[in-house]
Parts: sequence; structure tokens; C-alpha cells
Amino acid sequence: MNILIVEDHEELASEVIDYLSKNGYVCKWARNCEEALEEVSVNDFDALLLDLGLPDGSGFEILKSVRRKQSNMAVIIITARGELDDRINGLQLGADDYLTKPFALTELGARLYAIIRRMHGFTLNELDIHGFSLQLQDYKVSYGGIPVNLTKKEFDIFQYLVLNKNRVITRLQLTEHIWGDILEVNSDSNFIDVHVRNLRKKLDKHTSLEWFETVRNVGYRINV
Amino acid sequence: MKIKHQLAIFNALTRLLVILVLWLMLPVLVEKVVYKHINKTLRERKQNFIEHLDREEINDFIVRNDTAETYASYSTLHNEFLQLSRLPQKTVTNKTLFITEPRVIEEEENDYRILQYQFRYENSSYLLEIGSSLSEIKELTFTIRLFILIVLVMILMVTFLMDTFYIEYLLKPFYRIIDTKIRRVNEPETFDHTPINSHSADFEELDTVLNQMMDRISELFKKEKQFIANVSHELLTPIALLKNKFENLIQNESLDDNAIDKIAGALRTLDMLKKVINNLLLISRIDNNQYEANETVDLQDLLDNLLEDLTDRIEEKNLKVGLNLQNRILFTGNKTLIHILLYNLIVNAIKYNKENGTIAIEDGFSEKQYFLSVRDSGIGMAEMQLEQIFSRFTRISSDTDGQGLGLAIAASIAHFHHISINVTSAPETGTTFTLLFPEKIN
Repeated sequence: MNILIVEDHEELASEVIDYLSKNGYVCKWARNCEEALEEVSVNDFDALLLDLGLPDGSGFEILKSVRRKQSNMAVIIITARGELDDRINGLQLGADDYLTKPFALTELGARLYAIIRRMHGFTLNELDIHGFSLQLQDYKVSYGGIPVNLTKKEFDIFQYLVLNKNRVITRLQLTEHIWGDILEVNSDSNFIDVHVRNLRKKLDKHTSLEWFETVRNVGYRINV
Repeated sequence: MKIKHQLAIFNALTRLLVILVLWLMLPVLVEKVVYKHINKTLRERKQNFIEHLDREEINDFIVRNDTAETYASYSTLHNEFLQLSRLPQKTVTNKTLFITEPRVIEEEENDYRILQYQFRYENSSYLLEIGSSLSEIKELTFTIRLFILIVLVMILMVTFLMDTFYIEYLLKPFYRIIDTKIRRVNEPETFDHTPINSHSADFEELDTVLNQMMDRISELFKKEKQFIANVSHELLTPIALLKNKFENLIQNESLDDNAIDKIAGALRTLDMLKKVINNLLLISRIDNNQYEANETVDLQDLLDNLLEDLTDRIEEKNLKVGLNLQNRILFTGNKTLIHILLYNLIVNAIKYNKENGTIAIEDGFSEKQYFLSVRDSGIGMAEMQLEQIFSRFTRISSDTDGQGLGLAIAASIAHFHHISINVTSAPETGTTFTLLFPEKIN
């Protein structure tokens, strides 16, 4: 899951990045409006964590720009305590949720999961897919109560395909969402296939996988 | 040699030359003055002698010494003499002559300035010689020369010192300009515009011109930064848009396989385009000093994370990676950039390695300089290739993927951090990249 953190306070940003990286997110950090605007216009993020008070402008500009693109990025705004107007303004401009400083990292994590699953049409943190149950926050998959042992990357791939159910996800997209924005050209190597193959093998032990499609040489799709 | 020394030495040499010429000319000048003075005195004596001359006196002179037909009188110290002698010939020149020659008077030889005058008196010809000794004058000349020499040498020394200090004082603003306006300026932003105080208009002008030049440079710098930002926005935004469109298009169930293949191909090309642009932007941003280098980088930590990220690719080729650092190094730099630098080197070591090969990451100190090396057992390179691996769009073998920007980026990042990269390689044996860190590291 790709996430952009827009925060000018270095210590806070690195703390958040640390926490989210440990929880399976690929994080990018923008220190100011300028960097943030460039990032959102160029890259696809699943979520945006936006501090409204930035040195070179207001975070509202970034929010407006994101929503103008009609992107379905999840946006959480971070405001200072007591700034009610900012929160209302932000939500009206299309933010999905808000946090007031100081906030607990676990709360941030929980809210992110909630927004992302809602965004993809799920109401519970436990996703049900053809008998498999994914616990988003615990990296656990089980089938009818029997746990399925997946590696972190296999889980990430499975989760991403489930969240984007009924869509073809290209290998490039998968690579970008799992490994982040790799600078290396033609990184679309077959190691993503290795992970998918292993994942399918593990899932196949429990039930038939005709809903887990390989779309030619392009990518994968999970049908619901 | 600095200009202040050159000027001081030049001044001293010209002064020395003038002094030397003066000193050499001094005897001639003194002689001329002294002779003029003596000549005048001798002429007065002669006038005195001729005016009071009478028969009796001549006889008085000559009779006393008939045989020699000469008469001479000396002063007791032999510094003057007067001599009258009869001349055999009838005709006389009636002219006053001055000569300088040695004479022996009472067995003592001395140089004399002598006035010679021939005249006729009552049908007889006479030669009058009046002499004045030069020995005292010579002593005097010597003393004057010595005295003048001492004075000149003293003047030479004093003026040399004064010159040096004055030039130093005059040039001070110049060195200050060099130091504060040029040497300490790495980026136009850090340029100090405060005028440097100077007593010479030239340096004030230099300062103003430098300030103006810096203004122009920083303007260009700003423009370049703006240009880079514009390029990244103007080029990458449409790429992102196209990518979204293709990704949505591919969802269409009615597409046949051929169409899907083509869209997938287009997506790959777009991805490549985006990465090439990103890479070029990265290089120009590094070269433009748009990154800050004030983070603490733990190399061990960074390498651990990197290798974890690259596990898939390492396993794919079944490589053995030995990460063996002896020192826990904290380097001050830009974490993201150092990450990219090491990533590129390690990916390079993976990409050009053979199946079941090895990668060794080691460190150490060579002459107090910390180094980190990445050695692979890959296909290696010939010397010819080594020379150009750090230039853009070069790749080691033509059948491998990649646009060859990885090492160009590595070189830029290393240069930005004052790290030097060395490569040694042998075909079919492998390549070693060594990063030599700057000395101030702990």
C-alpha cells in the first residue's frame, strides 16, 4: 500500500513513517506543499496523510488538487488541537477523516485501515473472499478457521488484489504497491510472479481458485 | 608567488638598481666637483703669482738653483707646490693647462692636480707649475662613498618594509573578497552580499562586479530549478494520466487478447518513460545541490534493509550474499540518496552476476579513509568498458535490461557527498565497486 506523508515536522514524519513501514505500507515523505503537489500529480498513492500547516502554503491546496483529479486516494488530514474550522473545511473539501495533534500511532493505523476498506466497499476489517478471511490489521488469513501461513509479501499481494476485486491489476501496479517507487528501469521482473505462484499454491490447498485469474502476461484479477 | 611579494621585490630591485647606478657614478661626479674647485684655487694662485712677478723675483727663484734652471717651493705637508722653470724655446702658448699626474717631492710620491702656464718675461720663456695634492680628496671621496652606501642600504631596507606593509594593507580587501565571496560560496543562496570595505576603487569595483555576477548566477540557478520542477510536472503528469487511462481500459471485458497485449506493452513503455525521466531529474537535482545532507546514516542498518528488500532478486539467481562490516559507521549525508547509491551498486552486482554467484559487501580503513566495497562474481568488464560505466545510458551487456542510469546516479550521489568511487574488474571474474568516504567520519 502506497502512502504519501505530507508533514514539515521531521521528527513526527519519521516516527509515522517508521510505524507505517512496519505495518506494511510503502511510505513517501513530502516536506512541503511544493514537493507534495509534485508527488500527487505524478504518482498513484493509496492514501495521503496531510498536515494542514505547511511552511510554504496551506495543505488545502494539495487536497483540492487531489480531489480535482477525482482520484480515489484516501485522505486523512492532521490539524492542531482546537482548529474546528480547519477540520470542517477539510472534510468539506473531500478529506476522508481527520486526526488532531498529538495522536496515537495506533489510532492512525486503525483509521487508515478503516478508510481503505470502506473505500473498496468493505465494512469490516475482516475481508471475506470465497471462504478465505483476511484480517487486515493482523496480517492473518484463514480458511474456515484454519490459518493459512502467508509471507508478508504474499499477504500484501493477496490483500491488494482483494481490495481491488474485479479489476485487472498489472504486474507493474503490484510491483509499485508492494516495493514502492523503484527508480530502476524495467524492474518489472518475474519475481512478482514467483510470489503469486507461491500464494496460489498455498490457497489452492484449501479450495479451487478459478476466481483467482491470471490475465495473459499482464496481471492478475480476483473475481467476486 | 603572491602579488604583494612580487610588488615588494620588484620595488626593491628597481631601487637597488638606482642605488647601484648612483654609487658607480659617485666617484666621477665627486671628481668633477672637486677638480672644478681645485682648478679655481690654482687659477687664483697663478693670477696672484703673475701679478706680483718681477725680474728680481725670477732671479731670486732661478739663481738659487742655477743648474736645474728651476725653482720650486713646497708647503711643509707636501700638499701644495709651486715650480718655475726656464724654457729653451722662444715661442710660448700663453695658455693655462690642467693635468693630473703623480709627482715625487722629497722622495714622496703623490697624485697632484697641476696648473701649467707658459709665459715670456723679458725675452725669456718660463713654465709655471702650481700643484695641489689629491690624496686628501681621495680619502674624502672614499668616506663619502661609504657613508652614502650605508644610507642607501638603510633606505632600501626601510622602504622595502614599508612597501610590504602598505601593499599588504592595500590588498587586504582583495583577499577578503576571495575568501568570503568566492571560496566559501558553494551555492548562490549562501552568497554574502555585504560590500567589502576597501580604500581602492578597483577592489570596490571587483566587489560590485562579483555581486552582480552572483546575482545573475543565482537567477540562472533559480530558473534551472524552476525548469526542473516544470519538466517533472509537465512530463510526468500526462504520463500518470495515460497510465490511469490504460489501467482502466484494460478492465474492459470485451477486449481480445491482442488488444490486452498492446495495452500492456504501452503500460510498460510508459513505466519506462516515467522512470527514465525520474532518473534524469534525480541526477540534475543532485547536481544542482537540491538535496540536504544533514541526516545521520547508519550504513549497517541501511544495508540490512536493502538486502531484505532485494531478497527476491537474490533468491531468483540463487546468489550468496556476504554482508560483513567490521565498523559501525555513522555518516552524515542524505539518507534517501545514500540508499539509492547502495541500492544501485547492489542491484548492479545482482544483475550482472552469474547463477549461484556471490556478492561480498565489506568495509575497512585504507590510510585513515573509511571504505565500503561491493564485490560480485559476475561477468565483469574489460578496461575499455570501465572508463564509461559512469556516463549516462551505458550498459555493460546489450542483452540485459536497464537504461544504464544506475551508475550515473551512483556517481552523482557519491560526488555530492564527496565520496569517491573506484572500480576494478576482470572479465568473467567479477567487478568490485569501492566507496571511499571523506575523512571526517566516525
